Amino acid sequence: MMPWKTQRSIGAIAFLLVAIVGLVYWFTGLSEKKPLDVTVIIKSTDASIEFWQVLVDGIHEASQEFDTNVEVWGSKAETDVDEQIALVEKAILNRPDAIVLAANDYDRLVPIAEEVKKSGIKLIIVDSGINSEVAQSIVATDNVKAGQEAGQAMQQQLEGLSRVAIISYVKNAASHIDREKGIREVLAGNPNIELLDTFYVEGSEQNAYLMAKQILSDDSEKLGIIGLNEPTTVGAGKAIRELDLKDKVKLIGFDSSFNEIKLLDEGIIKATVIQRPFQMGYLSIKIAVDAVRGNKIPERVDTGSLLITKQNMYEEENQKLLFPFVGN
Amino acid sequence: MGIFSRLRSIQTNMVLAFVILILITILIMSITSYYLTKEAVKSKAQAYTTELVKQVNNNIKSYVNGMKSMSDLVVGNHAVQQYLSTTHFNSLLEEKKAKEAVADMLGSMLVSRTDISSVNVIGYGGQFVSGRKDLELNPYIDLTSLNWYKHAKEAGGDSVISPSHVQPVFKDRYPWVVSLSRELISRDGQTKLGVFLVDLNFSVMNDMVKEIRLGQRGYLFIVDSSGKIVYHPQQQLIYSNLKSEMIDKVLEIKNGTFTSDEGSNSRMYTVRDSDFGWKIVGVSYVNELVDNQNEVRLSFIILGLIVIILAFIISIFLSRRVNRPIKRLQDHMKEVEKGNFDIHVEVPTTIEIGRLARAFNMMVGKIKELMSQVVQDQEQKRKSEINALQAQINPHFLYNTLDSIVWMAENDKSREVVLMTSALAKLFRASISKGEELVSIRTEIEHITNYLMIQKMRYKNKLDYEIEIHDSVRNYLTIKVILQPIVENAIYHGIKMKQGPGLITISAEETDTDIYLIVEDNGKGMDEEKLRTLLLPSPDAEEGRGVGVRNVHERLQLYFGAQYGLSYKSVPGEGTTVHIRMPKALHSRTEEEQ
Repeated sequence: MMPWKTQRSIGAIAFLLVAIVGLVYWFTGLSEKKPLDVTVIIKSTDASIEFWQVLVDGIHEASQEFDTNVEVWGSKAETDVDEQIALVEKAILNRPDAIVLAANDYDRLVPIAEEVKKSGIKLIIVDSGINSEVAQSIVATDNVKAGQEAGQAMQQQLEGLSRVAIISYVKNAASHIDREKGIREVLAGNPNIELLDTFYVEGSEQNAYLMAKQILSDDSEKLGIIGLNEPTTVGAGKAIRELDLKDKVKLIGFDSSFNEIKLLDEGIIKATVIQRPFQMGYLSIKIAVDAVRGNKIPERVDTGSLLITKQNMYEEENQKLLFPFVGN
Repeated sequence: MGIFSRLRSIQTNMVLAFVILILITILIMSITSYYLTKEAVKSKAQAYTTELVKQVNNNIKSYVNGMKSMSDLVVGNHAVQQYLSTTHFNSLLEEKKAKEAVADMLGSMLVSRTDISSVNVIGYGGQFVSGRKDLELNPYIDLTSLNWYKHAKEAGGDSVISPSHVQPVFKDRYPWVVSLSRELISRDGQTKLGVFLVDLNFSVMNDMVKEIRLGQRGYLFIVDSSGKIVYHPQQQLIYSNLKSEMIDKVLEIKNGTFTSDEGSNSRMYTVRDSDFGWKIVGVSYVNELVDNQNEVRLSFIILGLIVIILAFIISIFLSRRVNRPIKRLQDHMKEVEKGNFDIHVEVPTTIEIGRLARAFNMMVGKIKELMSQVVQDQEQKRKSEINALQAQINPHFLYNTLDSIVWMAENDKSREVVLMTSALAKLFRASISKGEELVSIRTEIEHITNYLMIQKMRYKNKLDYEIEIHDSVRNYLTIKVILQPIVENAIYHGIKMKQGPGLITISAEETDTDIYLIVEDNGKGMDEEKLRTLLLPSPDAEEGRGVGVRNVHERLQLYFGAQYGLSYKSVPGEGTTVHIRMPKALHSRTEEEQ
């Protein structure tokens, strides 16, 4: 006969074994149970804006890797704040595990963002932020830094006393506000540079083109133009090309597209600051998944920016960021 | 019964032992078979991946070989040699004709090949001919700065294959291509003429590789011999350092497989070397290979649970079979504990328990035997004690009476001597005759009458007596010789010491259950102290007073029980009353005889 103590410990061990097996199964079963639902609301579903397409590619890549069901919505135009608010409302009703939002307006999306938080859905901001701290995390280029890079590129281009004009796409988008801030930070310190008022073009490339034409016709001597995003840069570039001022006017842009590449190739755009939209999309999903799973997530993820010039545009690492991967 | 004491029962122990045994067996079996399954699936997946990589490799190779054979054609082509080697044409028309001959030749290569983006010849003399006449040169690009151009020049006549890249050579076109470039050298091998370029539409390769998924997350990628990534489905992540591949290790092996050591994220690399310097690499996630991992695990767990439940049931059944006869024995033992020895346990078929039961039966029988023996022995002991008591009385009385007779004889009272002696004879006959323990009260009264008669004769006028006993009590049984010692006591210690004549009255009272014989005297009486110690057994019993009385008391108690016996009441100077209590239940059957 076994001693009484041994009997009890054997009993306890058996019980523990059963408990452990049960728990392990319960945990593994639970953690692998169902893919998360994430709704992504981007600024614009306009197919001509490559930035968002690449970002969505990143989102899909991540959704496959982290096994999430992703729905991507967006307003038709970046200026349509009301539609975007309506989309967020709709997303809340669908009750996904997380919402990833690229805000069209710095202020007006705050109440609805707070609504998201109240309903218990995780909110991740991508690309463009809002005037509130409700989001779990912000995945974006540090736009102030990107603006500084553009400002520095501009400084290098200009010689002697010059004027610099900034063309902004929409008035109240956080990314634009920050970029402008960065540019002004750099250029304001330069006594040779006179910073002009910012020109707003209300979300249209055509307006940017017309605006640039007007600026150029006023005085094209010793002039620098900075477009704060792809349409403004391309609009200004087209105006410069049309007036054949590419040697006189220094154009610095943001983002990239087929048209921007052509303008870079032609030497009209001297440099463009590009972001990593693929990374942005990918990381926004990764962080949304981490947030839902309760993992520790960074408050802010800087996806970085790159200055692309005619000289480095065909370098291997830059090609994938600049050129649509497959096509024409 | 608490849970812990429950754990000590044989049944629980057996159940536990079974469960533990089965749990361990299942655990070992599950783990072994799980790993065996995993290994089998892994090697199967490895074979599958290898096959897949081989196929992709073959497809890519056929494309590359196609491009190579194109280059072979162009290198030896007469028109190309002619056009590039001619430094000076006689007329523009002639030059145009020569160029067109080359363009036609290149163009014919492109016919029905959608996978080829462009075929071009670039002369060191500034010539440029494309097989696609619809394309214009990009005026902003310096061809000589491009990698494929530089590498072809360095290779000196060998084919060079580029990684995937953007080809900016044509105006407004930035296609992703894989380029094969080769320096063109004159037939005599003396003069370097230019560079041949063929671009393979990268989408062809992309389509070929992109859709290939190894498991849910696995994929294929391609590196060139210098470790540069030619194609990767997640190239952006690689460049952003969000993901890394084990390029160094891939470059080390030609064909084969290795697994990265990243815990649950371990990846299995399957490498295949192509002839032209690229390596096709299949990457699959190890934990995904056993994609029914959870089902396997679940089935093992369910199987385990079922077997454990089964084991429970079987072990409960089995242990109950063993336990039941033990329990029956236990119940019988409890009966025995309560004092019931009239039991016999059925002998079960199990050998050990059967032996136990037989031993139990034997034991109980033996105990029963011993018990009855003890009862008998006790009885014997009691009888002998009573006999001893009676033996004490008789000589005492005999002594006193004989003393009286002697006294009477001395005084010549022959008539009284005759009377007394005959009374004594009667007395002895009554008390000794049958040697029985119990006599009827009638006999006892006869006996005491004889005694009193003797005493009265002795004490003459000093003693008188009355016996008033109703006939209804006379037939009850009593122990013999109980009145005599009391009366004796009353005479010697009560009346004898008193001035004047004394009277002894013997009467009887009855209740529903008991009879009281009452002996009353008007003698000297006793004080409290004497009364109290009278019936107490004293080891150093003083001869005479009290000895007989105490004997009567003890005999009554021994025979009938503690509640029976004598009780005294006495008032000093006035007399003493003795109550003799005995049970009524015993009734003489010998009434007629007496």
